[in-house]
Amino acid sequence: MRKTFRLGLAAIGMAVGLSAAASAQELTLYTAGPADLADRLAKGFEASTGTKVNVFQATTGKVMARLEAERANPQADVVISAAWQSALELKERGDLLEYVSPNAQTVPDSLKDSHYVAQGAAALAIVWNSKSGKPRPSDWSDLAAPDYKDAVTMPDPAASGAAYGLVSALVTTQADAAWKTFGGLKDNGMVIAGANAQALNPVLQGAKAAVMGAVDYIALAAKEKGESIDVIYPASGTVLEARPAMILKSTRSPDLAKQFIDYMLSEEGQAMVADTYMLPARADVAAKRPGWSELTVLEVDHNEAPAKRQELLTRFKTAVGAQ
Amino acid sequence: MERQGGGLILGLSLSALALVVALPMLFVFLQALFPYLTEGSFRDPFGSITRTLSEPRLPGLLGNTILLGISVALCSLVIALPLAVLRGLTKLPAAPLWDLLLLIPFMVPPYVGAFSWILTLQPGGFSTQLLGIDGGSLIFSFTGIVLVMSLHLFPVVYFALSRTMATVGGRFASVARVCGASPLRAFLTVTLPLSTPGLAASLLLVFALSIEEFGTPATLGAHAGFHVLVTAIHLRFTDWPIDLPGAAVLSMLLVVLALGAFLLQHWIITRRTYVSVAGKSARDEAAPLGPWRLPAVALFSAVSLVAVVIPVGAVILSALSRTLSGGLSPDNLGLENFAAIFANRGGALDALRTSLSLAVGAALCAGLLGTLTAFITVRSTLPGRRMMDFLSLLPNALPGMVVAVGLILAWNREWWPVPIYNSMAILLLAYVCLLLPYPVRYVGAGLRQIGESLDAAARVSGAGFGMTLRRILVPLIAPNLMVSMLLVFAIASRELVSSIMLAPPGVSTVATFVFGQFEQGSPGLGMAMSVIAIFSSTALLVALNQMQRRVSVSAD
Repeated sequence: MRKTFRLGLAAIGMAVGLSAAASAQELTLYTAGPADLADRLAKGFEASTGTKVNVFQATTGKVMARLEAERANPQADVVISAAWQSALELKERGDLLEYVSPNAQTVPDSLKDSHYVAQGAAALAIVWNSKSGKPRPSDWSDLAAPDYKDAVTMPDPAASGAAYGLVSALVTTQADAAWKTFGGLKDNGMVIAGANAQALNPVLQGAKAAVMGAVDYIALAAKEKGESIDVIYPASGTVLEARPAMILKSTRSPDLAKQFIDYMLSEEGQAMVADTYMLPARADVAAKRPGWSELTVLEVDHNEAPAKRQELLTRFKTAVGAQ
Repeated sequence: MERQGGGLILGLSLSALALVVALPMLFVFLQALFPYLTEGSFRDPFGSITRTLSEPRLPGLLGNTILLGISVALCSLVIALPLAVLRGLTKLPAAPLWDLLLLIPFMVPPYVGAFSWILTLQPGGFSTQLLGIDGGSLIFSFTGIVLVMSLHLFPVVYFALSRTMATVGGRFASVARVCGASPLRAFLTVTLPLSTPGLAASLLLVFALSIEEFGTPATLGAHAGFHVLVTAIHLRFTDWPIDLPGAAVLSMLLVVLALGAFLLQHWIITRRTYVSVAGKSARDEAAPLGPWRLPAVALFSAVSLVAVVIPVGAVILSALSRTLSGGLSPDNLGLENFAAIFANRGGALDALRTSLSLAVGAALCAGLLGTLTAFITVRSTLPGRRMMDFLSLLPNALPGMVVAVGLILAWNREWWPVPIYNSMAILLLAYVCLLLPYPVRYVGAGLRQIGESLDAAARVSGAGFGMTLRRILVPLIAPNLMVSMLLVFAIASRELVSSIMLAPPGVSTVATFVFGQFEQGSPGLGMAMSVIAIFSSTALLVALNQMQRRVSVSAD
């Protein structure tokens, strides 16, 4: 008994000791996936500046929830999210430090602001299992055709900002035609399945044939690993989800944080972004995937009122028959 | 002297409980009351409560949650009861082996388990590829959700009930037999009723666990169109803007549900006394199975097949597959994923080490604190002991995400003398907080069966509080304590939700690693990690068990 207690105390003591090692010359980065990219950026930054970067990597939702819960005593210096919208909101609340990196000159205007700048961007695409026996789709509306009965999944627009952006952009640009597509998807029994991974996995195993609006770089990486899938950018256009990088105003090392943003936007940093099959933010860094010129990008209104968003979500859910 | 010793232990365990459980719970509660708490402001009190509770979808979510909790509890009971009877009352062949096997479902993270069932049963899945069976309509339905969750949670009932029945033992039943009762009647009128504390406690745990579990409802429920409170809570964490107050309010509803179940359980076990271990020594009187040996083993094998072999098999198969779309053809199978793990890609081995050591730490701390708490709630006459009992159940009813937020709000403050937050200690704290209910329930159930005459005898003989606890009560409740600590270990080694939120930067655990791989489209790598984690924690358990047995043999 007493021994158990002592062991417990020892465990606590050890853990506390580990934490006390943190020093001032360190930077804390909270970032959405992929973990490999975050680790490479951290190591590269440490190699070039000697500053250690502590990385917390999770989904955008978890990163934001943690930021929110930590507001009383913020821990992060730099945050990279996978949802552009989150940067707008953090800026509006006054949580962000203003900074324009000299390396951001070749970043397109739509991907930067006075307080945040894109690390890179992903597009939503149709991911199609080429062994599925279904005809190769070329546009969103193809997935609403009878061929695709019980064969389509989609990430949930209520849970994924990018998927919502797609719905909203299609409705804005196509109006009635978009609602007709959604109606066809309902008839096809499309499954709305949580996050991106949950929509993609059934297509990988062949239970479904195509994802409507999958995050492209993840699918491109899976294809590279040998999965029999194709990533198709619909002719009528798709949406980009840029990944904002920002410095929290509460940071204790603003200069290091700015250096990190510079490094992320350097040619070296942007090459690491390109290696994940994302679109690098800088237009002058080559992408390892269909680049700016090959995509028809639809505008997304990031300043939409929450009530309007809720209304569209409800209408969409009814249209596709989701409970 | 004896009073002082008792008082000290009492005071220490009360403050530990306050720090580990009450503090984060308090912050969750405050967050529900004051939506702007994270900014340090108390404006708009109750604002979030009215907003959240007036949502039209809420009654449906609440109804689904209760339906799910009750269905899973009943289904777990149906699976576990016959197994527990055989294990507790008869000379079951290879009993330790079955115990070990039935602990494995618990070491499979729920989201991995649900995912492996999908990979097995969905059209084009392993069952289609191997047997030509398409179980898609079964798995993506309410029945599917209940079955998957019950197959994961029934060990809670099995372990509690088999240990309780073994303690109640054949002795009381023998008395009934001597008085002329048939074996069945002796079981129904003596053994089963006397096992009520263990039964009620474990069903309460299963109910609380299934209303807060996220993995399975999230993966299967979305397909089936079946939504529960936890999925609604989770949505508030993922959808921008993040709504922490709303999540806290919905969590309070889960607490109310758990409170209802707790009161019911409390009413059941306090209506009468269940003391069955008194001063007389009880011999192990397990009944021989005779001709029933074979059917008994067949039953255990069948349950192990469905609960362990199939899901773990699916995890292994997908870990061996180079690509998911390649299917189970020989040229698509290989060990690349395992090689990547052993090459420590993405810090896989560090994650494994972190998880295993945290799990051992959590089992020790939760075992100690849980035993003391159970002792106070069952044996002391302290005012507020029932409150303590309920408090120790609370973390089980709250979703891990919400407990994690409570822990951040409580510990991410500059005024703590030692920085707990952003260190490994916060994870240990989280696990102990989340898993404390197991030792409290299991040990409490054991204590309720031990006659107070034993404590009294010890005290008359001059033993103090501490010595009574150490020499009399702890040895008597050791089987319950051991099993609960094994469960704590099993769950802590794969806990996901709070780990994701609380892991200090740079630290990953088995679960956060696996989840990250799933998210980023490398399920094979995640599955390989799951296989290694499941087998290494099983191996560690076996080793600990052997060690403990050797120690107890030498103590005899």
